[in-house]
Amino acid sequence: MARHAAGLRRLLSRLFGPTNGDVDEELSYHIARQTELNIAAGMTPEEAERQALISFGGVEKAREECHQQWAAARMHSLVGDLQYAVRGLRRAPAFTIVTVLTFAIGIGTTTAVFSVVDRILFRSLLYYDASRLVSVGIVAPIEPQEFMLGYSYYEWQDHQTPFKSLTSWTGIQSCDLTERNALRLACAGVEASFLPTLGIGPLLGRNFTTEEDRPNAPKVVLISYSLWRSRHGADPSVVGRVISLDGKPARIIGVLNKDFELPTLEHADVLEPEAIDPASQRGANPGRVRWAFARLKPGVSIQQATAAVEPLFEQMLATVPPQFRKEVHLRVRPLRDRQLHDAKQAAWILLGAVVLMLMIACANVASLLLARAAARHREMAIRSALGASRLRIARQLVTESLAISLLGCAVGCVIGAVLLHVFISIAPEGVPLLQKAHIDLRVALFAVLASLVSGILFGVAPAMQRPNAESLAGRNIIGVSNTRARQLLVIGQIAASVVLLAGASLMMRSLWNLEQQPLGMSTRQLVTASISLGELHYGKPQQAMNFFQQLEARLRKLPGVEIVAISDSLPPGGWHHDQIYAGIRIEGRPLPAAGTGGRIAWRWVTPEYFSALDIPVVQGSPFSESDRNSSEHFIIVSQSLARYMFPNEDPVGRHLQPGLEGPWYTVVGLAADVKNGGLTGAEEPEYYRLRRNQPEDWGRNATLIVKTAFAPATTERWIRDEVVTLDNAVPVQTETMSERVSRFADRPRFEAALLSFFGLAGVLLAAIALYGLISFLVVQRTAEIGVRMALGASKGNVVRLMASQGVGLIAAGTFIGLVTALFGARAVSAVLFQVRPTDPLSFLTVALLLAVIAGVATCIPALRATSVQPMDALRRE
Amino acid sequence: MPSESTELLQGTLDLLILKTLALQPMHGWGIAQRIQQVSQELLQVGQGSLYPALHRLEAKGWITSDWGPSENNRRAKFYSLTRQGRKQLGAELKNWKRIASAIALVIEEG
Repeated sequence: MARHAAGLRRLLSRLFGPTNGDVDEELSYHIARQTELNIAAGMTPEEAERQALISFGGVEKAREECHQQWAAARMHSLVGDLQYAVRGLRRAPAFTIVTVLTFAIGIGTTTAVFSVVDRILFRSLLYYDASRLVSVGIVAPIEPQEFMLGYSYYEWQDHQTPFKSLTSWTGIQSCDLTERNALRLACAGVEASFLPTLGIGPLLGRNFTTEEDRPNAPKVVLISYSLWRSRHGADPSVVGRVISLDGKPARIIGVLNKDFELPTLEHADVLEPEAIDPASQRGANPGRVRWAFARLKPGVSIQQATAAVEPLFEQMLATVPPQFRKEVHLRVRPLRDRQLHDAKQAAWILLGAVVLMLMIACANVASLLLARAAARHREMAIRSALGASRLRIARQLVTESLAISLLGCAVGCVIGAVLLHVFISIAPEGVPLLQKAHIDLRVALFAVLASLVSGILFGVAPAMQRPNAESLAGRNIIGVSNTRARQLLVIGQIAASVVLLAGASLMMRSLWNLEQQPLGMSTRQLVTASISLGELHYGKPQQAMNFFQQLEARLRKLPGVEIVAISDSLPPGGWHHDQIYAGIRIEGRPLPAAGTGGRIAWRWVTPEYFSALDIPVVQGSPFSESDRNSSEHFIIVSQSLARYMFPNEDPVGRHLQPGLEGPWYTVVGLAADVKNGGLTGAEEPEYYRLRRNQPEDWGRNATLIVKTAFAPATTERWIRDEVVTLDNAVPVQTETMSERVSRFADRPRFEAALLSFFGLAGVLLAAIALYGLISFLVVQRTAEIGVRMALGASKGNVVRLMASQGVGLIAAGTFIGLVTALFGARAVSAVLFQVRPTDPLSFLTVALLLAVIAGVATCIPALRATSVQPMDALRRE
Repeated sequence: MPSESTELLQGTLDLLILKTLALQPMHGWGIAQRIQQVSQELLQVGQGSLYPALHRLEAKGWITSDWGPSENNRRAKFYSLTRQGRKQLGAELKNWKRIASAIALVIEEG
């Protein structure tokens, strides 16, 4: 503590010199010692002190000189420069505030967005040597991500050569912790080789053994860090404890690391062995669907690996029905790509936007510093005349820029942290890894470096201008190069903001199209409730059916409820059943000879589904309540499926067998098309199977749709109450249909909002720079304006004269910006929805908006020029 | 006090202070005493210039100071050489020797 205090004191005295008390005490100590010596030599105390003072010489003078030494040293030190800079900045508060804020906005937005993008694009995955990890599988119309099937997977595992290890998992399944305070969990089934392939181990305990990954082996599980904390109070002795999962005992053999994540970034509370018997899978076709990951052998590239598994793929392809083969492909790609798929593009766009933003901010700071240098030309000339070397002046200016950039950096980091917080809170769930984004050391360092480099750069530039005798005389002859540089900077800024604005405007149009498109259904006054029943109590379809039927009856009795329908999925997006077209047998027709025919979406629904969502049944009739008790099966097809399946025929009354085996369904009607591939995805033909009062039609998952005359929020609460009354262990998720739909636009909304924010901030900064430049020109030409006015120029003439300077800059900047944006727009075209990247309306809007803002920034100082009094202006010469 | 004390040559005071402090940290009084003693009372350090010199050297970062108890248990300001000061001492010593030998050459020539 004392050492710290001494260190601090030394630092302070180094900055500001010693205090008066310090010097006094030091000198008086000396005199006291001399006095003692004199007394020892035989003098009286009074005489001794008098002699001591005399021999010392002037105490006052010495004290003065001690302090002067510090001041003199400071003149030559960085500290001195810094003090001088701070004093200078304090004298020009407007300049300081604007510059620091510009810096801070630039650095803050850069840091925040970089922190977000960094996680997505550059951060390494949390596995050992993650660059060697790949996702392996086949791509087929049935599933957008590459996958593998049980029967071929084990063949691959035996015969593959390019991978050090190949592993797989079977996805997330909900499971129940059936103990006191039952809990719904996400369980992931993985192979014993799963964690070793990723190169990670558990925090506590051990991984599964191959023996434990066999069917009928005693069940063992690894639990997540958060489950360990919340359920077991982070008790280290949890390993070996037996818990009850879906009513069966399972032994905890380990706890996963805090930062553990699945290769797909899905959430899992429990890892359990998939316990699949390879032998039974080899015989089965297709076997269990699974997702495979592999670690490349050293020196093997992805291309080589792809080529090496190609023969295995061909082998597998031979077992695929010939008509589908063309649509099945092999895919081996880096794990990172598998994780991030479409987020990558958005991340690059954001990164581009942020770089432009930083450039605008830096240009602004540069032009502000240049302006300040111009204003202080005379001061520099005087210092130079008094003997300051150019190096000395340059050092002074650099110090000043550094002071500004460091201050800007500090404020910028605060802004960055706040912005990041805002981003995270407004961001949709779909942005991967965003929840974990934080301002980290590297990002902060990046910001500091950026600010230091620009500080030094902009500090030196003005110092390079040699002061001359004219400036000493106080004439306003400012280097032409200075003004030229600022003009170029302003043009660059305007161009960059045009690019940003154009991007934002395209995104906005795209968002507008997205939200305004017809969904083919109504969302008004609809509340949805998604329920997933537990395996233990609802394992039999009969149990699930009973539950949902009871719930349906209860909901119908609620006040204000008009319609209750039960489905297992909902448009416009998210999960729904999928099958291939070729998998539907049509009565009286052979199966198609080639091709899968593409994907067909389908749902289980109760009769009122169509009236609840207001989907018109355009031909035939909707399902009726009495159909629910029929022993026959009924189906309704969408218009697009009918067009495809029965061109120029009446589909009503036809019979279909959707699974190639099993029951036949009678087509009773044709429903209008509804968006079902998300807001941006391609629409799929669709059919609806009637969910009858038969256990075979029911599963553990269902979504209830309730149309209410009351406020949705009230109805949501009532629905939850009813579910709890039936079974308080069943989790239910309610939301209004409009919330559901708007969630699909969250991501584009987020991107559009960010880009607009950048665009407007950029324009604002460019406007500030333009305003500053025109004001400066007005001041510089005050005398000229005075002369012109004295010679009879009207106010209009003067405004035109001054404004024309700005108009040229705006026109040049806008032109360059628009051309750049036209080329750059191709990069964003992939994320645009029904907007061409060359959309004229968007670009026109941008040009207009910019013209207005920049025009105002030009006109204000130009108008001020008219207030010049000719006499005053002339007298100044 | 001997009357035959010599005025210090401009700039040599810094050298003497640095050299003295190279032995051990010392307070101003001690430095003055030590220079007198070692020079056999030939060199008189004027206190009026000693303290400004100490502060100048400290401001330049060649020496640093700390308050501590002195021999007679009073609070005194002790100066010590910094790493930079040690380097400076080497440079100044070399410089001094060069000047001294140059002067000697000129004088002995005459």
